[in-house]
Amino acid sequence: MFREENTAPGELIPGTLEMLILKSVARGPLHGYAVAEWIHQTSQQLLKVEEGALYPALHRLELRGLLKAEWGASENNRRAKFYQLTPEGKKRLEGESQRWTRLSAAIAFVMQAS
Amino acid sequence: MTPGTHEFLARIKSLFGKRRMDREMAEELEFHQTLLREKFERQGMPPAAAAQAARKTFGNTSRWHERLREQWQFKPLETFVRDLTFAARAHKKSPGFLAVALLTLALGVGANTAVFSMINALLLRPLSVPHSEQLAILSMEDGGPQPKYVFCTPFFRGLEKRRDIFANVFAYNPDVMPVQGRSGNENIHGMLVSGQFFTALQTTPRMGRYLTPADDQSGGNPDGLAVVISESFWESWFDRAPDVVGRELIIANVPFTVVGVMPKQFIGADPTQKPDVFVPLSADPIIDSPRNHIDAGIHAWWINVMARLQPGVSLQQANAALLTVSSPILHEATSDVSYLASEEKGHFRFAAESGSRGFTYARLLFRKPLLAMFSMCGGILLLACLNLTSLLMARAAARERELATRLALGATRRDLIQQLLMESLLIAIAGTALGLVLAPIVSHSVTTMLTRGNIATGAALDTSLDIRVFLFAALLAITATILIGLLPALQVTGGNLNEHIKEGQHPNKALERHKLLPRVLMASEVALALLLVTGAGLLTTSLVRLYKSGAGLDPTGLVNITFSMDKQQIEGDQLMQLYQQLGDGLSHQPGVKSASFEFIIPLSHRGWNDGFSAPGGNSHLLWLNSVGPRYFETMRIPLFAGREFMWSDTKASGPKIILNQSAAKLLFPDRDALGQQVISKFEKTAYEVVAVVGDAKYRDMRSPAPAAGYVPIMQDPQKKPSLTAVLRVEGPQAPLANAARTLAARLAPTIPPPVFSTMDEIVNNSIGAERMMASLALFFAACALLVTAIGLYGTLAYTTARRTNEIGIRMALGAQRSRVMAMIFRQNAVIAIIGSAAGLIAAVLASRALASFLYETSPRDPWVFVGSVAALTAIASAASLLPALRAARIEPSAAIRCE
Repeated sequence: MFREENTAPGELIPGTLEMLILKSVARGPLHGYAVAEWIHQTSQQLLKVEEGALYPALHRLELRGLLKAEWGASENNRRAKFYQLTPEGKKRLEGESQRWTRLSAAIAFVMQAS
Repeated sequence: MTPGTHEFLARIKSLFGKRRMDREMAEELEFHQTLLREKFERQGMPPAAAAQAARKTFGNTSRWHERLREQWQFKPLETFVRDLTFAARAHKKSPGFLAVALLTLALGVGANTAVFSMINALLLRPLSVPHSEQLAILSMEDGGPQPKYVFCTPFFRGLEKRRDIFANVFAYNPDVMPVQGRSGNENIHGMLVSGQFFTALQTTPRMGRYLTPADDQSGGNPDGLAVVISESFWESWFDRAPDVVGRELIIANVPFTVVGVMPKQFIGADPTQKPDVFVPLSADPIIDSPRNHIDAGIHAWWINVMARLQPGVSLQQANAALLTVSSPILHEATSDVSYLASEEKGHFRFAAESGSRGFTYARLLFRKPLLAMFSMCGGILLLACLNLTSLLMARAAARERELATRLALGATRRDLIQQLLMESLLIAIAGTALGLVLAPIVSHSVTTMLTRGNIATGAALDTSLDIRVFLFAALLAITATILIGLLPALQVTGGNLNEHIKEGQHPNKALERHKLLPRVLMASEVALALLLVTGAGLLTTSLVRLYKSGAGLDPTGLVNITFSMDKQQIEGDQLMQLYQQLGDGLSHQPGVKSASFEFIIPLSHRGWNDGFSAPGGNSHLLWLNSVGPRYFETMRIPLFAGREFMWSDTKASGPKIILNQSAAKLLFPDRDALGQQVISKFEKTAYEVVAVVGDAKYRDMRSPAPAAGYVPIMQDPQKKPSLTAVLRVEGPQAPLANAARTLAARLAPTIPPPVFSTMDEIVNNSIGAERMMASLALFFAACALLVTAIGLYGTLAYTTARRTNEIGIRMALGAQRSRVMAMIFRQNAVIAIIGSAAGLIAAVLASRALASFLYETSPRDPWVFVGSVAALTAIASAASLLPALRAARIEPSAAIRCE
């Protein structure tokens, strides 16, 4: 899904997409486009989610029961599929973000070592 | 719910409502694109450019769509369904192939399952009693070639008394008992059982109680004689009366009291018996009167003995314990010095072996024929599989282009193999199902052929399909699938399929020539077929020789009617008068030419013998029978010298004997036997030889006619002999059964209805196992020939069709039609020759296994071998001729253009 060799700015670190998606819907139901936009905006335009990766990831999370999907009306009253966290998804998000905090701190220690 | 199970359930759910999901995915992607386009427009792009940019960012919609769909798919199941429908469609296109495949496989599976269900019933199935694994069969070893399983009463009672080795020791004897019904006595299958029989088998009665050691006393328990009945007897005899316990049942003219009813699944310890009444062993003098197996001590060997091991005691421990008690029990049983000496010389000892499957004499009798049949069936199944493999391989070769195209379109090799295996799986499952339908029919007819006349009356094999048989059939189906499908699938998907696309109809010659595998398969098929045909040839030759050898009497048109006289009042000369009246009555029936009486029906596996000597000569063993007047005329045994017996040959007129030719030569090698005296070994009675007659077979068809002597029934040493009337009949025989019954009811109202049989039946039953094996082998051989012919024809037709183009070119270049024909024909000829040679070697090696079934036939009978090879050659030529002819008729111009 992510090409390792391609680490140009804006690309995601492999394996983090699902965590970011879970985080994006933590505050309330969002549709696919809004998830991509939210990640893009919140990351100060540094991270860009490819549509080709986004939807398979969303569906995978839905399939595993971490997200729940419902059809509803979008801001401008179009029918859209909204994703929201299930209790399992919430648990997973907590776990992942703790793991991420530890990991990034560890990497930071290593990288800042003189 | 874990993510895994959630995923599984969601996938299952997604199998239904596929359309809606597709629509929703499309809508979701569409919505995203719309928002993207609007964003670009907001950023100031013109609508057309914005739409293009949105499409560009988004990439190929249908590809994302496809990927999403895959995510939701239940992949293995969906591929399975897809392969299944595809396979079904592929089969529908070639119904001829399918029919052949199904029929051959059904035949193989049916035959195998049928024989397996018999093996299961006889050799594998445990008794349906609790903890059957604790049961043991007891036997005696005294230096003979085999352990002895039939006990005498004193040995059994000696073992029964010792409570320290086994939890229980019990004995039983299946017997036919006269039970008084509304219209006189009827013969009912029963069993004499010892006191601990029911305790050991641990089955609770359906009603009342079972028999205990207290019932197994002479005269019964203090309240009298008790009997336990089966549930089916309770139904047929007592109409399931709830008050049956306590009712009276008259067995052998003596009242017994019904004390219990056993449930349906209980059949005792012999899996081939279904007794309806269980009578205490000690009642034997009543049931078998006038014989008494109990007082006869060590001279009556009549019961089978089994035991239940104490929990935690192994067979080895039991055997060790038995060794210590063997000698004491032997000495308790008898004081006959010469008997003791001979037994001790043979290191007499009791032994125990596993008895979870119960004991039946039939097992010793039919083990070998059944296993021989099983290997024949296995052969035919293997042949069917080999044949299908070859055909599928040839067909797959014809499909190489289709497969290559699919491979080029992105299918993996695994996909293709899976697909091809699915096709063979369909055939295997359908063939097995068909075979399972056939199996009970086959096993039923085979069982009746086997058991008639060979085991004690009332024996039946329960060949119903149980879990073991189904597992066996499933195993066959799986093996068949793999055998049939895997090789062709691997073969066809191996190699470079792309070559095939490039080459089209011009097959790579080098490749074609080196395809060794199909030829090896076909050659082994030919070899296997030859093996089966040779086996069938040997068995049939042996059977024909057996028939031709004759019995020494003319069985056709001979009817036996057996009267049971042992439980009525009159005896001696009075009884002879009754027999004379019965004989007169019978000989006046329409169609009866002559009538006589005999004690033993020839070829019925029964026998009676004694030593005889000429005055001053050595003693020789003669097989005996007592017969009535006009016996030899009725049996059509030639009378060489002297006269038949007459009613006037009574005890008062001095002992008379008729010798057969062998006996006459044996006793009087140098003079005429007629008028001489012979002396019996034990009673030292002198008999006068009144006639010499032709030799006739005695116990069975297989053994040659022994030296035999006949004594008149009027001088029979038994008080109340039960004789069989023999009638020479022209025309219908069936009415005689009724006539005999009414005659018996008038003249001797107290005896059970006489038993009717024909001599032809007895001859056939006497060689039942041989007949069954020969007819099955013939049937299998015919199938093998047919299957091989189909295989040889099918594969050659396929390969020839693929060479149409090449043959066209050859002809255009001047090849003659006859040479083309020879070229095609040669292909199969090589296979047939190699296969036959291999088959011949295998047959020579394997036929030795059949030696014990053959009668006066060498297992290497050259004529049979030559005949089998000839039959196979003929079939192979016929199968190869058609494709060769077709090839010769190819029009070169049409063939070259057909690309």
